[in-house]
Amino acid sequence: MPQWVNEDMGATSLAFDCDAELMLRVRDGDGASFALLLDKYRVSVAHFLYRMVQDQAVAEELAQEVFLRVYKSRESYEPSAKFTTWLYRIATHLALNWLRDGKNERGQERLDDVAEDGPVREVADRTPTVEHQMVRQVKLEEVRKAVAALPDKQRAAVLMHKYEEMDYSQIAKVLSCSESAVKSLLFRAYETLRVRLAHMA
Amino acid sequence: MNCPIRSQENREWLLDYSAGRLDRERTAMLERHMEACPVCARFVAEQRVVWDALSQWESPELSPDFNRRLYHKIDQVQPSSWVERVLRPLWRPMVPVAAACLLILAGVALHTPTAGLSPDTSHARVESVEPEQVERTLDDLQMLRELALTPQEHTGTTQPM
Ligand SMILES: [Zn+2]
Repeated sequence: MPQWVNEDMGATSLAFDCDAELMLRVRDGDGASFALLLDKYRVSVAHFLYRMVQDQAVAEELAQEVFLRVYKSRESYEPSAKFTTWLYRIATHLALNWLRDGKNERGQERLDDVAEDGPVREVADRTPTVEHQMVRQVKLEEVRKAVAALPDKQRAAVLMHKYEEMDYSQIAKVLSCSESAVKSLLFRAYETLRVRLAHMA
Repeated sequence: MNCPIRSQENREWLLDYSAGRLDRERTAMLERHMEACPVCARFVAEQRVVWDALSQWESPELSPDFNRRLYHKIDQVQPSSWVERVLRPLWRPMVPVAAACLLILAGVALHTPTAGLSPDTSHARVESVEPEQVERTLDDLQMLRELALTPQEHTGTTQPM
């Protein structure tokens, strides 16, 4: 653990309940507050990035970059928006750039290909049989591919709406567009998914 | 209420309802409407299929050394923070000057082997890389500042909607 992280942070951790307040403390040099924010959001940020790029190694690298940038920009941090809005703007910016650069380099969409990190993980099944598991894996693969086939910004909107449970206003702030634009993005995205996943009823 | 699909009014209620996120009052209004509107009822049924399918998809767990790797990276950038603070206002105009000075020093070193400069070229290589690293760090900070101040320019144009 680096020197700037206070090792007895556990004792003070319950005193904070506001992310922006924590970030202001990070700005003032409090490493323990950074550790709290990291513990609180690293999993959700990494999962969001995984579902965006669908490559676990890339998602972890991008998640590291997100928190590195949070740390590096601590001195200029101003709580003008919710901390999570700011956090997901950084994450989305990095993911969209990675996807854009990847498409430029490879000349085609790669997310729709076979996943590079093995079978898709699923929510634990209480009655697993081999056949049942295989059927579920096939279905999950279809879900993954359907999400991967969405345009990048529609995918980001759906992931924030579905998994991060953000409201339209927050998604709009993350994506720097209007609420009505977000609703349009979501309706188009879900319409595509309804067509592709209709047989799962 | 007007049909959310036909009128486009409050159509997000359908998404919220399918996700179980609509408040009680609006839920009651929408349910009354759906009793008479098969279009909306079908929308909700299909949207719930999508919602349930998405719910089954979990992400892989993070590597156990995620924090360690991050703190290692932070430790690497930490020593340069004082450079940023001290040199930020001066750095950019100084880059070409510094490059010119390095070239002159390299020339002097090549032509005067007894001038007292270290013959260790790896040392010189490290020094010549440092300005680029600081420059990159400043670029990152600049991007973040722009991201915070003028969001439309960045995420707004990255991808077509
Ligand atoms: Zn209707």
